[in-house]
Amino acid sequence: MFEEASEVLENMLKWSFPLSLVLFLVLVCPLRAEAAHEFSVYRMQQYDLQGQTYGSRNAILNTEARTVDAEVLSRRCVMVRLADFSYEKYQKALRQSAGAVVIILPQNMSTMPQDIVQQFMELEPELLATETIVPVYFALEDEELLSIYTQTQISSSSQGSSSAAEVLLHTATANGFQMVTSGAQSKAVSDWAITSLEGRLTGAGGEDLPTIVLVAHYDSFGVAPWLSYGADSNGSGVAVLLELARLFSRLYSYKRTHAGYNLLFFLSGGGKFNYQGTKRWLEDNLDHTDSSLLQDNVAFVLCLDTLGNSDNLHLHVSKPPKEGSPQHALLRELETVAAHQHPDLKFSMVHKKINLADDTLAWEHERFGIRRLPAFTLSHLESHRSPARHSIMDMRSVSSLEGAGEDTAGPHVDLTKLSRNTKVIAEALARVIYNLTEKGVGGDLQIFTEQMQVQEDQLASLVDWLTAQPRAAQLLDKDSSIVNTLEYYLSRYLKDVKRHLVRADKRDPEFVFYDQLKQTMNAYRVKPAIFDLLLAVCIASYLGVLYLAVQNFGLLYGFLRRVTAPRVKQH
Amino acid sequence: MKPSHFNSCIYVQSETRNYSKIDSGSARTFKGDAPEDFVTCSCHFKITILLDPRRINHTESSTMTLFHFGNCFSLAYFPYFITYKCSGLSEYNAFWRCVQAGATYLFVQLCKMLFLATFFPTWEGAAGVYDFVGEFMKATVDLADLLGLHLVMSRNAGKGEYKIMVAAMGWATAELIMSRCIPLWVGARGIEFDWKYIQMSFDSNISLVHYIAMAAVVWMFTRYDLPKSFRLPVTILLGLCVYKGFLMELFVHVFLLGSWTALLVKAVLTGAISLCSLFLFVTLVHSN
Repeated sequence: MFEEASEVLENMLKWSFPLSLVLFLVLVCPLRAEAAHEFSVYRMQQYDLQGQTYGSRNAILNTEARTVDAEVLSRRCVMVRLADFSYEKYQKALRQSAGAVVIILPQNMSTMPQDIVQQFMELEPELLATETIVPVYFALEDEELLSIYTQTQISSSSQGSSSAAEVLLHTATANGFQMVTSGAQSKAVSDWAITSLEGRLTGAGGEDLPTIVLVAHYDSFGVAPWLSYGADSNGSGVAVLLELARLFSRLYSYKRTHAGYNLLFFLSGGGKFNYQGTKRWLEDNLDHTDSSLLQDNVAFVLCLDTLGNSDNLHLHVSKPPKEGSPQHALLRELETVAAHQHPDLKFSMVHKKINLADDTLAWEHERFGIRRLPAFTLSHLESHRSPARHSIMDMRSVSSLEGAGEDTAGPHVDLTKLSRNTKVIAEALARVIYNLTEKGVGGDLQIFTEQMQVQEDQLASLVDWLTAQPRAAQLLDKDSSIVNTLEYYLSRYLKDVKRHLVRADKRDPEFVFYDQLKQTMNAYRVKPAIFDLLLAVCIASYLGVLYLAVQNFGLLYGFLRRVTAPRVKQH
Repeated sequence: MKPSHFNSCIYVQSETRNYSKIDSGSARTFKGDAPEDFVTCSCHFKITILLDPRRINHTESSTMTLFHFGNCFSLAYFPYFITYKCSGLSEYNAFWRCVQAGATYLFVQLCKMLFLATFFPTWEGAAGVYDFVGEFMKATVDLADLLGLHLVMSRNAGKGEYKIMVAAMGWATAELIMSRCIPLWVGARGIEFDWKYIQMSFDSNISLVHYIAMAAVVWMFTRYDLPKSFRLPVTILLGLCVYKGFLMELFVHVFLLGSWTALLVKAVLTGAISLCSLFLFVTLVHSN
């Protein structure tokens, strides 16, 4: 048979050589089969700040899946659910040089109990502080991912415990999973521009008016950039600032209420990365420009940071305001308004000196303080180290009803408290601007009522819009829709709305961002190598049986012949 | 033959992602880390240890999935080889004639595809509703297979058995190459494991038996000396052969059979048809 075959093939090959070449090339190419499951994964932060590296360094992945209770974790992808996550397990995975860690988060964070959320929030800065070459991913749980996880868990925990026969049976029936990510190795993004926006309301009465600056940073931070929605920190601050812009632009549009103060509103970017936007803006305005509102008469700078919740309000200062200064006036007015109009609100001043030896500055007002501008930050948080400021748990969605008696998991925005805080700030500012206390107006008089009242649905829609997409600084370049929309919103109420770009210095960059923050991970069902060998043995035995059957086909033929023969003989 | 058979003739696998940097060669990892290490795996394991750790994944992975491909391919192809050898066809220089039968198979498939494409446009039926009448009509087109087999057999001179075997071998081998080799090469070599490749190989074994039975029934049908009493059974068997694919799809759809159960039912059905045809064949041949 082979001689004939070779003859035939020779003839065929003479004229089909090009065809076979093409065929060979096609067949040799690596091919991709369909995956059992494909899902998006969000990588942990990776950035350099002032030369210091943070976060997970690596990005590509092609490893087998295991859960964290398996014994051998090296070069494997460790899958952990949020409910089972703990720092010790994470350290264990890193120590054994795991291939990757995937933390599975529930779709709806409000199903998680409070203590797990708190624990995770406290772990987030620690995760980032330990610089690691192991890529850490976050994935949102769905049904298929959950089934993959349970299957992996079963096979991981049964390793090394059962007899050889059980293991044999297990390998034949179990599914292993291979996790592969698409994408390349992460590299630094060059020439990233952080955008900040400013706008102003000019006061009435000519030149040399005092200026009040209102500042809020609009970016958010969390352990995974694509999952940081920053509802309270600092979506609430941005919402308050925009609402104040609307209210005061309305006041300033009438001649009778046009006050003698310039109001400068500033939405800074890169706030969570040591206030890069503010830093460069100050440099440009104070060092490189001849005349700027910031150079002349600045009454004070009020930074808004995390105002969406709780019944506390703290005014953070780097040095206590002197009597008779505008800063002291604001402090006094805030106390008055809080005492008379909102007795449930507890207002206090927190004094913290600027510590230049720290890696990062505590609050945004310290940037201004360094440049000798009087500034303070208003926040409901008491300490700048609070985990609520850099957590991915800071999300808008709140499932439990108000007054259900249960604390909702994680930091979130409470609209009534946000609007109350907005009102307090607006009233206090108005009292300073119009000098109401000296004119003898009592602390009970409310200015922002009826047509001028703080609109809660406006605040609600702002917060909803801000938390609809992640606002990490690495994701907002100058063309992003958030920046454009903020610019449009500001330009509706303020004049001279300008953009301000910050690019890192080429030689000694203050900040470096890395890409590959969101990837697609494929989970492939694989069988271990032993399974292939088992299969080969089974197939060999089947073929042996078949061979014997075909060889002895004559027996069947003879049998049938014998069966039919008597009938034939009868005819 | 099922209408889906046509799709596999022109099977094309498209690459969905670009893999310039990652080793896309499949990865079956080793459970060599487990305490009980099987002796059969130890030599392979030692070889992989010697290799560069970064290349381990690629090397052991490509051998292991080529192994799986080899498993499936041998499961599909060896019965054909065995049948060719043991039926004594090699003594009759039948290789070239088998190739001719294969060529006839290709031609007939092409004609059927053209016919179906022209006269059966894609039905915009409701999803989930199995179009019985449409599928039945499509299955009727498979009558062309019978004509093709008859054509092949009439061109070969020789004993009945010889003609049947040559036609069936050529036909079944052509079907194997066209509709199973490429999916196996493309799919069984991938990372993802699926039982369907083993099932596909079993299916090719069943097809071989089916085509032998079909060729025998066609041969009997065209005999001038076929007794009157045989006409009816032969016609029934012929009908069953042509509509076997349609019947299988009907069963799967109505009884919601799993893939392995469907394979078993198909094997049983083919076995029954082939036994009946063998019985009739023996009776016919030895009654003279």
